[in-house]
Amino acid sequence: MNKTGVIFFPAFDWSLGELHPEREERLLYTQEQIFEEGIMDLPQIKQFSPSVADIGNVLRTQAIFPGPKNHSLDAHLIAVGSSLVLGNALMNQEITNGFAMVRPPGHHAGATVWGNRGFCTLNTEAILINYLRATYGIKRIAVVDTDVHHGDGTQDIFYHDPNVLFISLHQDGRTLYPGTGFVEEKGGPNAWDSVLNIPLLPGTGDEGILYALENWIMPRVEAFKPDMIINSAGQDNHFTDPLASMNVTARGYGKITERIKPDLAVLEGGYSIEGALPYINMAILLALSGEDYSGVIEPQRPKDKALHGDAVISYLNDLRRKQEKVAPSWNYRNDSFLPEGKWVYNEKSIYYDTDGFNEHRKDYIRQCSHCGGTVLIFSQKPSAFQKGVLIRIPFDACPQCEQAGYDLAENLIKSENMIMMQNQLKNKVHMWHNGEEVSPFGFKN
Amino acid sequence: MGSLIGIDVGGTYTDAVRISDGFIDKKGKIPTDQEDILSTIIAALDYLQIADSPEIDYITVSTTLVTNAILQKTLPEVRMILFPGSGMKLTALPWPVSYTTLAGEMDYRGRIVTEPDPAEWQLLAEEIKRLATKPLLAIVSKFSHRNSFFEEKLAAFLESEVPGIRMALGSRYGHTNFYRRSLTTYLNLAAEGLFVRFADDLHQALASRGCLAPVRVLKADGGVLPLDKIRPVESVYSGPAASVLGAMAQSSLEKSYVVVDIGGTTTDIGLVLSGSPLISTHGAQIGPFLTNVRSLAVRSLSVGGDSAVIVNEGEIILADHRLGPAYCIGGSVPTPTDAIRYLNLSDYGDYNKAEQGLMTLLPEDKRDKKNARDLAERIVKIMTEKIALAIEQLLEEWKAEPAYKVWEVFHHHADFKLSIQLSGGGAPGIISTLAKRMNMDTVLVEHSEVSNAIGAAMAKPTFSWTLHLDTQFRIYRIEETGEQGCWSGPKKPQRVVEDFLRDLVQSHASSLGINGDDLEKDIFDYFPLVENYHTVGQIIRGAMHVPPGVTGRVKA
Repeated sequence: MNKTGVIFFPAFDWSLGELHPEREERLLYTQEQIFEEGIMDLPQIKQFSPSVADIGNVLRTQAIFPGPKNHSLDAHLIAVGSSLVLGNALMNQEITNGFAMVRPPGHHAGATVWGNRGFCTLNTEAILINYLRATYGIKRIAVVDTDVHHGDGTQDIFYHDPNVLFISLHQDGRTLYPGTGFVEEKGGPNAWDSVLNIPLLPGTGDEGILYALENWIMPRVEAFKPDMIINSAGQDNHFTDPLASMNVTARGYGKITERIKPDLAVLEGGYSIEGALPYINMAILLALSGEDYSGVIEPQRPKDKALHGDAVISYLNDLRRKQEKVAPSWNYRNDSFLPEGKWVYNEKSIYYDTDGFNEHRKDYIRQCSHCGGTVLIFSQKPSAFQKGVLIRIPFDACPQCEQAGYDLAENLIKSENMIMMQNQLKNKVHMWHNGEEVSPFGFKN
Repeated sequence: MGSLIGIDVGGTYTDAVRISDGFIDKKGKIPTDQEDILSTIIAALDYLQIADSPEIDYITVSTTLVTNAILQKTLPEVRMILFPGSGMKLTALPWPVSYTTLAGEMDYRGRIVTEPDPAEWQLLAEEIKRLATKPLLAIVSKFSHRNSFFEEKLAAFLESEVPGIRMALGSRYGHTNFYRRSLTTYLNLAAEGLFVRFADDLHQALASRGCLAPVRVLKADGGVLPLDKIRPVESVYSGPAASVLGAMAQSSLEKSYVVVDIGGTTTDIGLVLSGSPLISTHGAQIGPFLTNVRSLAVRSLSVGGDSAVIVNEGEIILADHRLGPAYCIGGSVPTPTDAIRYLNLSDYGDYNKAEQGLMTLLPEDKRDKKNARDLAERIVKIMTEKIALAIEQLLEEWKAEPAYKVWEVFHHHADFKLSIQLSGGGAPGIISTLAKRMNMDTVLVEHSEVSNAIGAAMAKPTFSWTLHLDTQFRIYRIEETGEQGCWSGPKKPQRVVEDFLRDLVQSHASSLGINGDDLEKDIFDYFPLVENYHTVGQIIRGAMHVPPGVTGRVKA
C-alpha cells in the first residue's frame, strides 16, 4: 500500500476576478467531494499543512522582473511552498508519493517572469525540481505534463537542461492556448531530445492518451532512467472542460496516474469547476494511494464520442515518426559581450494573456559537451520600457561554463541596469542594479 | 451567586468539588465503580452534601457512561441503511458495523443524480415487518448534509409501513464526511436508550435528596449542555476536556500552555493557546469508530500513577494497564505512585510499603536502599518520557493543521511561549523531571487533585452554528443540527447573510438556555457562482461560535 501525502490548498480567499475561470470556487467542490467521501480518513493518506516558499527558492529557478515586490505573490508562494513540503516528505520517506492539490497553477510561468500568464506566475513544478536538486542532490527528473495546455513555462525553464526530461501531451497548439508545444521543440543544443511534445487532436479520449502513454511516453521515461517522476496534473482534458475539447473521463485520469506512477503530482489547470475537478481529483488521489477508483463516475456522460481508436493510433504513430525525424539546427551569434565559446542564439516573443502585453526574449546558450551550458537571456517588456537580464549557470556546470557566467556578468554590468544570476552549481543567486550588487528580495546569499 | 458542583468520573477515582462564589468549599475523591456510574455520581453528590446546599446553580457531570458502553460493546444493535452513491468504494474504509446499501445518488451541491428505487424500499419494509424485534435504524445518504431528501423520504416511508420504528437520520449531524457521519449517527442512536435511562435515574436520585438544580453534561469539546438537550455521543471523552478546563480555571487568562493531567489510569494532555483550548480538526475516535463529534485536541495516554511496573528480562516496563491500586496503599503491584512516594515527592500512601513494593522488582541480592532509590528514579523517568513524547506529538499535530486560505497560512501558528500546567494525583512526582525534559516552565495547578471536577463545574456552554448557503439553489443548511431551509434573500447577499445567521443563532441558543451575546464570528467565505460569464449566485460559508472556556477563575 502506498503512503500518499496530500496538501489541499484551495486558496479560498484568492482569485484573479469574479468572472475569471481561475476563481476561488475552483476547488470548493473538490473539497466537498473528498471530505464527504472520507478520503482523508484512509489510513494510507496523510494530509500535510501548506507552507510559504522562501523567495530564494523561486529565484533559483525563475527571474522575476523587475523584482518580486512588483508582483502579488502570496497565493503563488503557498502553492509552491506546499509542493516543497511534499518534496521534503518524499525525501524523508514519510510518504511514497504525494499530490499537491493547490491553486493557483504554475506551468505557463517560464524562466523570466513579468506578470501572470495563463493564470500562472510561479512555476510550481520547476521550483520544486530545482529545490530537490539543490537540497537533496537529485540528478535526473522526468516531468509528464498532462494538462490540456502545453506546459510552455516548464519547457522554457528546462529547455537546455539535459537532466530534466520534459514531456507534455496537450491539445494541438493550433487550436488552443498557448499555441506552442510542437514536435519540433526537442530541447536546446546541450539537451537535445530532453523535450518531447505530443500535440493531440481535439477529441482524443481516454483510449488515445493511454495508447500514447503506454507506447511512447512511458518507454521514453524508462529509457531516461529518472530518479523521480513529476506529474503536472492539469485536469482540463476532461470532457466537460469549457476551454478545451478533449474527451477524457475522471476514471481515465485515474488510469493515467496509475500508468505514470508519479512520485509527486501537482495540480495545474482545469476549469470545469463542477463537472470535472471533484471527480478527477478524487480519481487521482485514489490511484496514487492504491485504492480502487472504478466507482468514480461523473454525473454527466461524454456528449461527443471520442475519436475512433484507429484514427487516434495512426495519428500518434505518424506524429511519432515525424518527431523522431526532427534534426537540430542552430543559429550561432558572436556578440562582443560573449565570452569564449560557441553561442547558440534564439529569439522569441511571449504573450502575457492575463495582463495583455508581450515579452521579447533573446536567448543565448553556450554550446558545451560537458554540461547543460550557461544560458543568457535578454528579456524586454517593451510596453513598460523595461529590460532584465538573466544569466544561468547550470547545476552541473563545467568550470568553463561557470566562468563564462561570471564573465558575462562582468561584461554586462556596464551596459545593463538589471541583471540576475542563478548560479545553480553553487546554489547562489546574485542581482545587480545599475552596476551595484544588491541582495535579491528577502533572499540571504 | 450560589454554588457550582462539578463531578468528573475518572477511570480510578471520581473527583467532586463544590465551588461557592468562586471559592472551593468542598472537594474530594471517591473511588469509581465502572459497573455503576450512576451510583458513583450519586455517592459523589452525597459526599458534597448537596442535600444541605440550598442554592446550587448547576451540577455539571463529566461521565464515561457512553464511552464505556461503546468500548465494551454493550450498546444495542442498530441497523445501518446507506445511500452511498458513486465515488470511493465503501470497503476502502473499515466499517466496524454492517450496513445495507440502497440506490439513489446525490452530488456535492445536493442535486439528485439518480433517483432511489421504490422496489428496494418496499423490500426493506417487508423485511423489517417480518422481524419480531424492530431494529433501530440509522439512515445516512452521501451528501445528506447538502440535501436530506433521501433520508427524510425513506424515514417517512418506513414510518408509514412500520409505525413506531425508531430511526435516526445522518443529516442531523450535518458535518461533511459521510463515513464519520454514518458512524456518529449509528452510535448516537445506539446510546440514546442508555442515556435517557441514566438521565431519568439521575434526576430521580437528585429529587430524592431534595435537589432540583439543573444538571449539565460536559461534552468532548469542553462545552456543557443541559442533560436533556445533549446528544449522548457528544458526552464521550469529556474527561480530557475537563482536565483542560480545570487548568484554565486555575491559570491566568490569555496564556498559552500545555495541560498535563496525570490520573490513576490515564494521563490527559491538551493545549490552550492564548486562553482558548485547541479544537481537533477531525472528530473524536471512539474505539474503532471514527466520528464527527467535535472534540478538543487532546491526547489520552494510558499511563498513570497506578500503571503497573513490571520487569521483563531485566528491563523496567511501565504497563499501559493497572492491576489495582498502588502498593503503598495496599495494592499488590508496584506503580509510579510507589516510586513517587519513595522519593518523598508526595506523602500519599505508606513509605515503608512503597519501599517494599519497589524491592519486589529488584533481584534478591540487590534489595537495598540505594538500588530501590535508583529504581524509583528510573520509573519516574520512564513515565516522564512517555508523557513528553505525547506532548511532542500533540504539538506536532497542532502544527500540521491544514489551512485553506492565504490569510490562514500567513497567520498560521504564531510562536506561542508555552508553559506546562500540571495537575492530577501523580503531578508533584514528575514536575521537576518533566520541566527538565521539556525545557518549559512547569507549574502545579493549585487544586491539582480535583482539577477535573473544577473544570467540569466551571465549564461554559459552547455553541457553534455553521451556515452553508447556496443562493443559486436558495437553500441553507446548518452543519451542527442539519437544519435545512429555504433562502428568500438576494443572490449576492453580503452582509444580510450575517444578520440572517445571527438571528438563527440567537433563537437556537436561547432554546438551549445559552446566552448568545458573546458570539464570535468567523470570517465568512463568499464563492461566486458563474455560468456563461454571469454571476448566478453565491455559495456562502460562515460560522458563529461561543468557544469553549470557563465561567471564571477559582479564587485562592
